[in-house]
Amino acid sequence: MKLRKILVAGMFASASLMSSAAWSATDIQWWHAMGGRLGEVVNEIAAKYNASQSTYNLVATYKGGYEDTMTAGIAAFRAKQQPNIIQIFDAGAATIINAKGATVPVADLMAKHSGGFDISDYIAGVRYFYADSDGKMIGMPFNSSTPLLYYNKDAFAKAGIANPPSTWEELEAMAPKLKEAGYVALAQSHSPWIFSENFHSRHNIQLATGNNGYDSTDVKILYNNDHMKMHWSKVKEWLDKGWYGFYGRAWGDNQDAFVQKKVAMWLGSSGSFGGLTKSADFKFGASFLPYWKSIIAEPKGTFIGGAALFAMSGKSEEENKGVADFLAFLTQPEMQYFWHQETGYVPITNAAYDLAKKEGYYNSTPDAEIGIQQLNQPGGEWTKGYRLGYYVQIRDVMYKHFDDIFSGKASVDDAFSAMEEESNDLLARFHATYN
Amino acid sequence: MKRVQFEHSPIPYLFIAPQIIIIVVFFLWPAAQAIYQSFLLEDAFGLSSQFVWFKNYSDTVFSTSWLQAAGFTVVFSTLVTLLSLAIALLLAVKANEVIHGARTYKTTLMWAYAIAPPVAGLMGNLMFHPLIGDLYKLMNAIGWDFNHKLDAFDASFVVILISVWKQVSVNFIFFLSGLQGIPHSVVEAATMDCKNATRRFWTITFPLLAPTTFFLMVINITYAFFETFGIIDTTTRGAPGGATNTLVYKVFQDGFRGADLGGSSAQSVVLMLIVLALTVVQFRFIERKVHY
Amino acid sequence: MNTINWRLIYTHTVLIIGVIFMSLPVWVAFATSTHDAETILRNGLQFWPGTHFFETYREVLFVEGGVMKSVLGTTMLKNSLILGIGFAVGKVIISMLAAYAIVYFRFRLAAPLFWIIFMTLLLPLEVRIIPSYEVMAGLNLLDTHTGLIVPLIASATGTFFFRQFFMSVPDELLEAARLDGATPWRFFVDILIPLSKTMIAAILIIMFVVGWNQYLWPLIMTTKEENYTLVIGIKQIYQVLAEGGELPQYQKAFALTILATLPPVLVVLVFQNWFVKGLVESEK
Repeated sequence: MKLRKILVAGMFASASLMSSAAWSATDIQWWHAMGGRLGEVVNEIAAKYNASQSTYNLVATYKGGYEDTMTAGIAAFRAKQQPNIIQIFDAGAATIINAKGATVPVADLMAKHSGGFDISDYIAGVRYFYADSDGKMIGMPFNSSTPLLYYNKDAFAKAGIANPPSTWEELEAMAPKLKEAGYVALAQSHSPWIFSENFHSRHNIQLATGNNGYDSTDVKILYNNDHMKMHWSKVKEWLDKGWYGFYGRAWGDNQDAFVQKKVAMWLGSSGSFGGLTKSADFKFGASFLPYWKSIIAEPKGTFIGGAALFAMSGKSEEENKGVADFLAFLTQPEMQYFWHQETGYVPITNAAYDLAKKEGYYNSTPDAEIGIQQLNQPGGEWTKGYRLGYYVQIRDVMYKHFDDIFSGKASVDDAFSAMEEESNDLLARFHATYN
Repeated sequence: MKRVQFEHSPIPYLFIAPQIIIIVVFFLWPAAQAIYQSFLLEDAFGLSSQFVWFKNYSDTVFSTSWLQAAGFTVVFSTLVTLLSLAIALLLAVKANEVIHGARTYKTTLMWAYAIAPPVAGLMGNLMFHPLIGDLYKLMNAIGWDFNHKLDAFDASFVVILISVWKQVSVNFIFFLSGLQGIPHSVVEAATMDCKNATRRFWTITFPLLAPTTFFLMVINITYAFFETFGIIDTTTRGAPGGATNTLVYKVFQDGFRGADLGGSSAQSVVLMLIVLALTVVQFRFIERKVHY
Repeated sequence: MNTINWRLIYTHTVLIIGVIFMSLPVWVAFATSTHDAETILRNGLQFWPGTHFFETYREVLFVEGGVMKSVLGTTMLKNSLILGIGFAVGKVIISMLAAYAIVYFRFRLAAPLFWIIFMTLLLPLEVRIIPSYEVMAGLNLLDTHTGLIVPLIASATGTFFFRQFFMSVPDELLEAARLDGATPWRFFVDILIPLSKTMIAAILIIMFVVGWNQYLWPLIMTTKEENYTLVIGIKQIYQVLAEGGELPQYQKAFALTILATLPPVLVVLVFQNWFVKGLVESEK
């Protein structure tokens, strides 16, 4: 009797041990800012990863927009409740990267646990934005896009224009024709990103001291330069002539203007074409971001916007392995291609780009390739991006003064001087926090 | 204070303990930390910090953007308070007079209270949307060249309108109950003494409503200073050009969006002192005129 | 005779305009929510109901991915309800006890404790949110209903309200009770609480709405999407609207808005009689 009881007990014990081993996958917490359809694709990625292996269980949680997610991450870190992976956007890069000890660089993580990390695997335009001044990648670009020009083909036909402008000079020439056909020529959705940061990259102009901010936090912003002021004076001129429309600071407001056929051309992101396909009832095309021939003869590439995934520190070795494993999974060509197709964001590895080309994706959807092509255009000294602290506030300062330029409340010179002063105050404050 | 009270009993300490404990743990402790943070300059993640005395205060509090926000906050709070009180008072008086449909009027005028500030902002945003908003089209149709994305006055208009809309319900409820609290005998005597309804209102009813009005004034100013950032966040976000930035929204921007904890803590302390001063002023100078 | 009629017309006109001003936005929100996204995008807000009522509301409430992939509308509704009711009930209990202590007892710390309570009105939650979060994390109360509700109870509004009321209760009541030999506890339970019924109803309603409408605190406190509340769902849709890149789902935003407004409105309606009477008692 007793022996049987012991045997039965033993069986139960070993059975439960085995089952608990099967269900003791390590949880990896991933906080992201992808809402709506993008969030659905993120969940699909997590599901695919979990189905592909049983050691780790990836839990993806939507924490609100970019700023909300960053704040949640900060609060969590301070309370020692940080997730394993967090998605931080371009304006927050300086905050998280300069906080030494807040994250483990992905290059190190993957070198240690995923059998190596080679930055040349990644396409040129994405490599350095989230890297340190030595070129080591700290955050892995996740949803990367770059500014592109979208144009309404029907409107162009109506106005008798064959091709989209490749330079701003060309745009100026065709604007009156578009106006006659009943359209405002141009609108755009993110003045700091498109008309300032990438403006500098496209024309290969330095936008901050200290190697665009990468070398130190003791830097000053250089937006108050003649080229920028010339450009903005032109934009204001266009606004007054009815060639340019400003529909508010929100991204969606300006995109809507394009969808509603009020404007013939719109500067958006390479990721926008997916949404446009669904909402626009006219033929549209994508083209490169225009530049001023008067400033530069051969334009340089642009850099990425969007966000990157950072591995937060203070987690166990086992969990770090899981993070590296997931990142390796994410950077497989098939996964990158999947993400690229579903969302319109660019694939970040050369292998993935090659795969997409091989699969003929760009034959059916040529617009999808324009963003990558632009990112692959020759880089210059100043196409790497920027690293500036308190950049969320600086962008707010920029928006504020751009508003004033548009409304006529301030002249371009005054607005830029004020912008420079306030931005540099913010940068000085940021620098002071680290010294 | 009450003349008759219990003495020598452990009960008060027992009864007041839960609230005090919660306040100490969840208010005083975090508040103290927030105040302490206002004297620090530290990175968002708390990995490096240094004590900087009043640097945060001088950096952020007297910058041009803060002063601009302060100016707008004053204008905004005054207008929102006055307008929502006035409209609510008018509606309450009328609702009190009417007999037919009194219940319906009272109900439909009360329910806006239940709407969350972000929701009110969202609705207002869509109604004023340049592309699909009917109010936007209405404005332009009556000849007002309305563009709240570019024009500071128009943007202020939108934000004030939505805030007033939300607040009218609360004030309405309190005013109504205040009116209903006036004993019938007084109302009858007043009607006999004074035939003119308007005069009757200003000489008798309104003074009797003074305690309610005073209470509401304090509450409304607090609302305008603190609770409206949800509406601003979902409508103008301080645009254009910082014209619709209020002080509390700046706190939210710098702390929550920009991860500048020291700066935003300093601003909140200043904000707290301002509201404290305002409350004290109200109690000292205005309450004197209120007859209980 | 004529003067009375004019006055009546004027009164009703004012009231009707008031009702339209206050209710029209809510009606338009409802009407718009019953259309599909493309219609709204092309033609703007709608004044008359459309044909997509069931589809939209079904999607929002019952379909996964209606709002956010892993959370149903009904789940968020449940979370909001728990928050609203828990907060309201908790607030009533704690405030009544504290107010009773302050008003009816003479004890040394009465005045300073009262001022401490008063101070909570001056520093809103948004400002102390990150330190509050740290405290909660330290106590292991993240992602719990307790953690969501308890810190919100720290503010003074309820205590103030009950204090006003208790101050207005005639002293004779207490004298009579003491003559009868009542202990403080008996007085509280047998006499004061029944007397305060309408006040309790009033505070329950107000605080339910306050708890229901919370956004920032639940967003930060919950790390799992299944704990999200309804207001968070709305804000997320709005976020997607603002960031563009997709067909804006205005109709879902409005549907959620209506849903988020219903329970508080129902609560206000059902209790409105008690509510109004409750406020009357305290304004003496």
